Amino acid sequence: MAHDIENRELRERLDLMESMIAEGRKMTGNWGWAFILWGVAYYLAFAWSFLGSNAAIAWPITMAAAGVTTGILSSRMSRARPRTGVVRAISSIWLVMGVLLFVLMMSLAFSGRLDNHISLSVVGTMLAVANGASSLILKWKMQFACALAWLAAAEIACFGSDAQQLIAFLTATFFCQIAFGIYAMISESRHRLHGEVHA
Amino acid sequence: MPELPDLNPVIHGKLRLALLSLLAGVEEADFTWLRAKTGSTDGNLGAQLQKLEGAGYLKVKKRFVQRKPQTLYRMTDAGRGALAEYVRALKALLGTAISVD
Repeated sequence: MAHDIENRELRERLDLMESMIAEGRKMTGNWGWAFILWGVAYYLAFAWSFLGSNAAIAWPITMAAAGVTTGILSSRMSRARPRTGVVRAISSIWLVMGVLLFVLMMSLAFSGRLDNHISLSVVGTMLAVANGASSLILKWKMQFACALAWLAAAEIACFGSDAQQLIAFLTATFFCQIAFGIYAMISESRHRLHGEVHA
Repeated sequence: MPELPDLNPVIHGKLRLALLSLLAGVEEADFTWLRAKTGSTDGNLGAQLQKLEGAGYLKVKKRFVQRKPQTLYRMTDAGRGALAEYVRALKALLGTAISVD
């Protein structure tokens, strides 16, 4: 009898360890909002550059504002989150992609060599790389589909007309940023609802 | 069958075991997150974390984020070794195969 109780207690310890280790490794971040924010920023930049005045500064200003907003919101969010290898890997991919894209686009703009087709193909390819790498780390098929959609938009920017590349970019922005962001937020909140484990 | 005292008493406590297991899966975590995951009180959690720190299993780092104090906990190599040893002892006691890396 005492032996059974002892065994049960040891098994409880094992179950506790397994559930806690799994809980610690769970991706608890909520990043769906960032996709939506950047999707809206792309639309605003497009609208400003086509319809507003000072079109030349539309993209730099909008992208810089989106970058600062992302930085502020993510620093507030990360206060109560643990740092894991997965979180660090994915954050690094997106941070490096964002910084490189910003530097490259600024250089092209100031050198006067910024061409619509080249810039959209570069942006599409970079987003495909970041989404593709994140999807492979997270094993997330939906995000992998987004990577393919961005790659398709980049290819259309290479081979298509002005109108075709614009439609491809706006469509990819809607599905891969706004729709994917909403989907990610819903699935993340579901995970949080069912994922709490107490010792 | 070996007796229970063969298991490391510092780790064997439920809350301390939960804390070490949580920290085994992350690089570092703050007090608030550990409290939320374990469902323990501030006082109890602080006391158990202090015991683990005293045993050399945890490293503590204090900093300010947006003017609010934040205490971060990170598992030391000694802590990982002790947890691995604890798992080995459990396996020996139960005779089951589990994997914790």
